[in-house]
Amino acid sequence: MSGLGGLGGLDRPEAPTSPGAWDERSGEWLVAETDVRGNGADAPPTAGQEPTATRTNGPRPAPTRRTGADPVKALIHRHRDLCERAVDPLEIAAGLEAHGLTDRTAARFLHRDVFSLAEEMYARVARDGETPSSLPPLTTPRARADWILLTLLPGALCAAAVTALHLTHGRARLIAAAAGALAVTLALRAALARGPLATPHAARSAATRTCWLFAYALLGDGLLQAAAIGGPDALPAGTADGPWPFTTAPVLALALSCAPAAWCAHLLAVRARRKLSASRALEDFATSVKPLLLGTFALYLCALTALLTLTATVLDEPTAYPQTLTLGALLLLARLLTTHGFTHAPGLVLTATVTAEATALAALLAARLPGCAWLATPVQSLIDTWGPAAIPTIACGAGALTLLLHATRTLTRASAHAPADGPC
Amino acid sequence: MRIGLVTEGGYPYVNGDARLWCDRLVRGLAQHEFDIYALSRSERQEDEGWVPLPPQVSRVRTAPLWTAEDDGVAYGRRARRRFAECYGELVAVLCAGGAADASGAPGGASATEADRFGNALYGLAELARDEGGLVGALRSEAAVRTLERACRARGALRAAREARVPDLLAVAAHLEHALRPLSLDWYEDDNLGSVDLCHAASAGSAALPGLLAHHFCGVPLLLTEYGVRLRTHYLAAPESSPAVRSLLAAFHGRLAAETYARAALVTPGNTHARRWQERCGADRAKLRTVYPGMDAARFAEVGEAPECADPDTLVWVGRVEPAKDLVSLLHAFAEVRKEEPKTRLRIVGAPSCSEGAAYLGHCKVLAAQLFPDEAEGPHTVGDNPVSFEEVGGPEIPTLADAYAAGAVAVLSSVVEGFPISLVEAMFCGRVTVSTDVGAVVEVIGGTGLVVPPRNPRALAEACVALLRDPERRERLGAAARARALELFTVEQNVAAFHGIYLEIVSRTPVRRVVLDEAGAPLPFAVPAEAHVPGRWTERSARLVARGGPSRPAGAPVRATALPATEAAR
Repeated sequence: MSGLGGLGGLDRPEAPTSPGAWDERSGEWLVAETDVRGNGADAPPTAGQEPTATRTNGPRPAPTRRTGADPVKALIHRHRDLCERAVDPLEIAAGLEAHGLTDRTAARFLHRDVFSLAEEMYARVARDGETPSSLPPLTTPRARADWILLTLLPGALCAAAVTALHLTHGRARLIAAAAGALAVTLALRAALARGPLATPHAARSAATRTCWLFAYALLGDGLLQAAAIGGPDALPAGTADGPWPFTTAPVLALALSCAPAAWCAHLLAVRARRKLSASRALEDFATSVKPLLLGTFALYLCALTALLTLTATVLDEPTAYPQTLTLGALLLLARLLTTHGFTHAPGLVLTATVTAEATALAALLAARLPGCAWLATPVQSLIDTWGPAAIPTIACGAGALTLLLHATRTLTRASAHAPADGPC
Repeated sequence: MRIGLVTEGGYPYVNGDARLWCDRLVRGLAQHEFDIYALSRSERQEDEGWVPLPPQVSRVRTAPLWTAEDDGVAYGRRARRRFAECYGELVAVLCAGGAADASGAPGGASATEADRFGNALYGLAELARDEGGLVGALRSEAAVRTLERACRARGALRAAREARVPDLLAVAAHLEHALRPLSLDWYEDDNLGSVDLCHAASAGSAALPGLLAHHFCGVPLLLTEYGVRLRTHYLAAPESSPAVRSLLAAFHGRLAAETYARAALVTPGNTHARRWQERCGADRAKLRTVYPGMDAARFAEVGEAPECADPDTLVWVGRVEPAKDLVSLLHAFAEVRKEEPKTRLRIVGAPSCSEGAAYLGHCKVLAAQLFPDEAEGPHTVGDNPVSFEEVGGPEIPTLADAYAAGAVAVLSSVVEGFPISLVEAMFCGRVTVSTDVGAVVEVIGGTGLVVPPRNPRALAEACVALLRDPERRERLGAAARARALELFTVEQNVAAFHGIYLEIVSRTPVRRVVLDEAGAPLPFAVPAEAHVPGRWTERSARLVARGGPSRPAGAPVRATALPATEAAR
């Protein structure tokens, strides 16, 4: 029926011996195919190619068809995209088969099977003048409304909470402070859950340590000051003056800086992705991304400084630049590193910072025990020399510096900026 | 015997590929024990659950391919150097070109390259087994840097030399994904090390555990490929730069060649797959074509009663998609109608995707344009000679009824793998007219008419010839049914695998050393009867494969055992 009964017929080791068809059915096919394709294959100005241009030098098999001196050439022309894009003959073979070519069809081109036909096609397609493929650059993350709004949320809630603190008194002020702290924490969590500051890796959360650092920024300096002079005698009253003052301006500035931080991270991601597409060697990428990283970092610090000046002016509090800037730098770097998959170093550094601050406080308080007065000496001398802000500044500054050095090594690696979506 | 069946995205998941085949195999060979090692392809697949498992499945272990957790092991200096050496070798082989080029000229050089690839692969597996942490290492900057060095080295492919940073990252990510099976803890003496035969249900990722079991424990590997993975890779390769595509093609080609070289036997599902395997370097002596089996019982009634067919009806059954070329079928039918005006065409099938649905709509419009509704007389309601139906409707309750409705089954595909609808038509004793694509000729083997693809006129002539000759129709239909019953039944498939299992185990048995309490080898602990096929495996003896050092407990990758079925034993 088909002329190829059984399995042995599939592998035809020999080419057809006569130029005709091998049975009457394929004879019809031959004629039909010739009629159909004769128009295209015969006409010389096929897409402006000269008929002899792509002739190979080796001995060509004698043409078997009445029309078209070179049937393979017509085939190459028809599958030009496939041939030009193929990286090896097997890819052409797979593509030809997907277009319905079989070994029987390949026999018409005087080939034993599709593989050898594909090899000829692969060899005959000129690849020398191949232009570097104009692939679309890597997709860059888009700024989206959801995370932009979410990053504004902590600042807004914190401002509301600070206003509430100023407007209320007594027990209501305590309730307002607690509610404000809770709301800001939840908003921060939501802001970090998506957008450029979100981490795709299921890392151990640094939330507790971050909360401690915020709490220290709010209460720590006052407590330290009070502890140094023998206090504190009462719970904080929630005001900027008093024996244990609240320093709300730095916290408000930090909460407001969530938005610039997200923008900086976004900028870094977009620019790094562009540099990734443009660079040819890993070294090139590292050298080009280092200034970008430092620039982004400086941009964030500028934004934080401006915000801090603003909040301190509005709230009429002293501007605590050193401790706030170092804390902001530390938090941003830790978050950036975590976002890019480096969770180990930020975790360590945050723990160290928290421990340093807690130790300073504990040492001051423990010095009141009989015989332990010497414990307070280093902290006390620091406070005497530079004031209570020295403790958080040194702790956060050392941490931030460590993370900055770490980031200039790790965040300049190409693998840190690899597209997160899987290869398949 | 104890068979370790390794699947990737297939059995025992409810929506897995080839789960029917595996299920029939496992149920058909109840005399053997089956351990199933399943790699899942997506989270959704894992959530949808498993098919019910027969009692001969003694354990199921699964591992996700779609995700890999970094186990946080940081390499020391020696481990780092070991990783860099192995990975460097691997990517150097890839940058030197694919197996496809090598197989064309079998010689010393290509064999060396294949050997280097295999050694690098096993080196990485040994590293993962000794130290863990391979996932993190494969994702690390060191891996990308090694890849860059290999791409810039002398003798690298031109495409590889032009690789840019995003290409390097893409290749490294893909390699990490493909090498995830290396990090599994399956290659222990109580897992894949304890089976007598490892049967990989497909090449690619599923064959990797089999390769490693062979390497670590000497378990023979049987590879079954119904669709050639390498070819699928070429066709499914996403749009990316030439560097990425050539390196990945080289990797998959090398992996396929290594699998074919190490497997004890390879069973392609049809001659087409066999040709690809030969092309990729499989030894002909190892190849045994085993046709997929289909359940013949549901077509028995229709097949035994050929006279119930409507002599003027052509039927097309299948999933509607552009590759089926229904347009060509409709044009052919127009030609048929010129010769035989009473003929009707029933197209039975549902679209599989949105593209298929659009194509079906297009075909319906074309049918309405080509064939006006017609009626028997001036007073009856007319009808279109072409009808589009689905199985399960009132007229066609079952698939067999779809074939029963027509005298001639038509297949008009331009692209086809193993044409299942053709086999079904053969089981139903219907004569077929099909296009010469894929494995059609091999399946039909002279019991139906074959015409070239995209040739409606030839298709129409073949249909008319059959419509006019009921005797020939009957003769060919009976022959087709006889051929299908001989070649494409489940029993044939299961019996073939049964024989192949016995052949492999008799030729390449696993040599195991049984240890006593002190850890010293016990001579004569495994009696000769142990090699007799049948259910003889016991769990009492502590089996340790030769050359397989034990490994500290602690799974590098989540791999869950099945407590329920373990307890049931």
